[in-house]
Amino acid sequence: MFRNVIRQELLNHLMSARFFAAVVITLLLVVANSIVLLEDYERRLARHSHQENIHRQKVQEAKTYSTLKLSIERPPNPLSLFSTGLDKRLGSTFEIYHGLVPMILDGSARSLDNAFLNLFSKIDLALIFQVVLSLMALLFAYDAIAGDWENGTLRLVISHPVRRGTVLLAKYIGAIVCLLIPVLMSLLLVMILLSTASSIQLSGADFLRIGGIVLTTTIYLSVFYLIGLLISTTTRRTATSLMLCMFLWVALVLVYPNWSRFALTPVGDTRAIHSSTSQQVEQIWEEVDREERRFLANSPLEGKPQKFNLDVPQSSSFNSKGNLSRRYGVDMKVSNQSDPLVPHVQKYHATMGALYIRSAEQIALVRKQSLDSTSLRKAMWHERLMKLSPASLYTFATSTWAGTDLEGMSDFVQAAQAYRRTVIDYFHDKDAFASRQWFASDKGAVDWWDLPQFRFTQAGVWDNATRALPELFLLLLMNVVLFTTTFLFFTKIEV
Amino acid sequence: MIWHIIKRELFDHINSLRFILTVVILSALMVTNAAVHLRTHTESVRNYSENVTKSFNKIKSRTQLYSLAEKGPGNLYKSPSSLAFIADGGNAYLPGRISNGESWSKSGPGWKVKSNWWLNYGTVNPDAKDFLPQATKIDWAFIITYLLSFIPLLFTFDALSGEREQGTLRLCLANPISRHLLLIGKFLGTLITVLIPFVFAVLLNLAVISADSWTQLNAADWGRLGLVLLIAFSYAGIFVGLGLMISAGTREPRVSLVILLLIWVATVVFMPSTLGTLSTKWMPPLQTIDQFHAARDAALKQIDTDYNDRLNAIKEKKNPNLLSLSDLQKLFETSPETARAAAEKFMAAYETEGDEELALKAELVNRDVETRERFNRQYLEAQIAQVQRARGVTRFSPAAIVQYALESMAGTGFNRHLQYLEHVHDYTKQFRQFIVDTDRADTESRHLIGIREGMSEKPFSSEAIPKFEDKIAFSDTFNTATLDLLLLVLLLGVFFSGAFLIFLRSEV
Repeated sequence: MFRNVIRQELLNHLMSARFFAAVVITLLLVVANSIVLLEDYERRLARHSHQENIHRQKVQEAKTYSTLKLSIERPPNPLSLFSTGLDKRLGSTFEIYHGLVPMILDGSARSLDNAFLNLFSKIDLALIFQVVLSLMALLFAYDAIAGDWENGTLRLVISHPVRRGTVLLAKYIGAIVCLLIPVLMSLLLVMILLSTASSIQLSGADFLRIGGIVLTTTIYLSVFYLIGLLISTTTRRTATSLMLCMFLWVALVLVYPNWSRFALTPVGDTRAIHSSTSQQVEQIWEEVDREERRFLANSPLEGKPQKFNLDVPQSSSFNSKGNLSRRYGVDMKVSNQSDPLVPHVQKYHATMGALYIRSAEQIALVRKQSLDSTSLRKAMWHERLMKLSPASLYTFATSTWAGTDLEGMSDFVQAAQAYRRTVIDYFHDKDAFASRQWFASDKGAVDWWDLPQFRFTQAGVWDNATRALPELFLLLLMNVVLFTTTFLFFTKIEV
Repeated sequence: MIWHIIKRELFDHINSLRFILTVVILSALMVTNAAVHLRTHTESVRNYSENVTKSFNKIKSRTQLYSLAEKGPGNLYKSPSSLAFIADGGNAYLPGRISNGESWSKSGPGWKVKSNWWLNYGTVNPDAKDFLPQATKIDWAFIITYLLSFIPLLFTFDALSGEREQGTLRLCLANPISRHLLLIGKFLGTLITVLIPFVFAVLLNLAVISADSWTQLNAADWGRLGLVLLIAFSYAGIFVGLGLMISAGTREPRVSLVILLLIWVATVVFMPSTLGTLSTKWMPPLQTIDQFHAARDAALKQIDTDYNDRLNAIKEKKNPNLLSLSDLQKLFETSPETARAAAEKFMAAYETEGDEELALKAELVNRDVETRERFNRQYLEAQIAQVQRARGVTRFSPAAIVQYALESMAGTGFNRHLQYLEHVHDYTKQFRQFIVDTDRADTESRHLIGIREGMSEKPFSSEAIPKFEDKIAFSDTFNTATLDLLLLVLLLGVFFSGAFLIFLRSEV
């Protein structure tokens, strides 16, 4: 009997015009947007490898340790097709040097060919599912009970020896299967499109992540179907039920996420925190300056660190003093090979190296604190507020699966920080800070053959799953609550 | 008779649940919009006036004509629109100011040249330093494009198919009433029902906004608000027409609803952005930013080498038998004594600068500025053309048309940015003309604009320096807005007559 009811529901939906129209529209939108997204991804990938080549060349150009200009690139995420998240937004080039611990906003973004095109908002596949299929779920649900009740078929069904719960469950399963069909079909289409693009190689883990996205989509659509079912059960008039469903859809999907981001300012003015942070950072650098002066007072060195009072016929150098970090590089040719001052210069750079590393780490602590209490806190609060709508829950969950969310970006930053430590350890192993090759290349340039390479692997699928768990759990909870409420109402109503 | 039908439609709708829900949702959004506008607008106006004064004071502090040419007019700010609450127009993605370009200096033995000010457009990419979740701004454009299209569909999907199902349509037409009157009655009745809550919400919004002292709306602003309402009305009319058309063509209201909603999702939610990005795929490719930089740097390099060659030629003409720098170096290796003498001669030759050398210097500086600005302008124009084409393609969606029309009315968005750029260009010309004129008035000057030695050193009144004021002029954007409005009216006509034709041919 149960299977019969399901079959009837399925056939009912599959033969209907709305199902056909939903599939057609979803597929059209998916194809049109996938083409754009794919091309965009390929362009970013090409740009990525181009940048990496430039970085590699830059490393080879450095003749002394101090002039090493090391940068790393965050690779574009192929799953940004499904959920763009922050992948395209945040800066992706990070400079690695001992005077700065890279943080999430330190990445510099590539300059766009046409920044005005940002005016057109970006669309990913998750957005299409989020908008179109949730609407479809409500359209399937609004007359599921109310329509049958009005037709009188509900009475007919109930008169059979079948429990009400069974009928409800059958309706639910039938509708969810129907809603999954456009999802799976569009997935298939995307896979076909992906296989034509040679640049994208999805790993096994990526397929599992896509599976996670499909799972989340199912749970999300079921929330909307159950909302519709609840309304349909309680109102018992298709016209009323439809209007409630439509307005609720507009409110939850279209209005609330934008409204909460636009109208609410959960974290107040953070300017005080910013200014206190910059003060603390300044103090740390002042301390460094003081130590530098103390060192120079006790040494025979005079003048600017680019040359000191050495006899240097040829030198090149750079020096950048930002608010947050300092960095310098010297490459000189000392005329007198056994200048008695050279050991002093070596000692100077060794001291400065240690000082910079220490203060960079102090500054990183200060900055992390400030970031946690300003931007990150703001982002967390906005996320929490937006998550009152299942549509936003879905957006955040998919970007978590895809690894394009804030945590996915933080993973990369952590890898960058670890790489900085590796490079410093490598310098220590070579005793680079105290070596002559730190500032002079006259006895031969540095050979970079054993410089550690940067490698970044995305967090495992399991990590993605645990991160997406809170959102999934909330969505599931909504499902359970909605289903039980609907069930209770349905067993109570008079047919 | 027609009034009778309209009246019936109105009463029918106003007593319905959908009407109440419409009132609630529209009012809530409009009030939010006004509240947020009050909060943010004050700050943007204050920032703008502070920035402008700072910029003014900076120019006034420049007493030398040369420093004006060298440092330029400082930052040029875009003035915020007092009607920004109507359409934000992607304000964050458009540069709000134009600042100085990078300066350079070049020197050789005994001489030095410094760059002059050049116009640097700059770009903004606010997303790169921001990880807050993204969302659309709730401005009037959002409310109109999304809700004034969605709500008419909810009022019309069963207007004809529902009555046909119930049989009331047959009853209605059994009366001595023509079909087109019935259709017009339904059209107007529904349109008015939709517009009542909208106008109510708009009035609420304006009441809150006009209570604020920072937003002063003048007569012209009110006129524009009237046009905004007209745009909104015709947009809502389009969707009422569409709803009636589909409703007339389908037997069941359920089917007509699904078809309408899917059309709506495609045209209103997705088409404005999808078509925009999709169309750039088939457009003639823009030079990439790297190619552009390479081309510009090559041109600048050419100017630089030209200068060096010509400078050497002048020096050689003046001092025959002058050795070149590379020859000098060779000479140092063979006979240092003669080389030292030659070097002194060399230095002496380069340190004395005559009119010819100064003119050459001025030419270098001016050609540099001209080349940089020409290249930047060309690239900017290519970018603008790309965006304009993309916008043209998105006009297939009425939502995009309304968005652009509202932007022109509000004085925000891309067209407004173009206007600002034009103001900047005009001002740049004026500013440079001022320098030339002031210099020409001084008879002692060499009239070589761009270098310190060539320009007037007489004091001039700082009041006379032209000041940049970015005034929003609606006359420019008005043309595009009229075009958009015409398109909307045309669409309205198409959908209404479509509904009429289908209704005429349909069986009751």
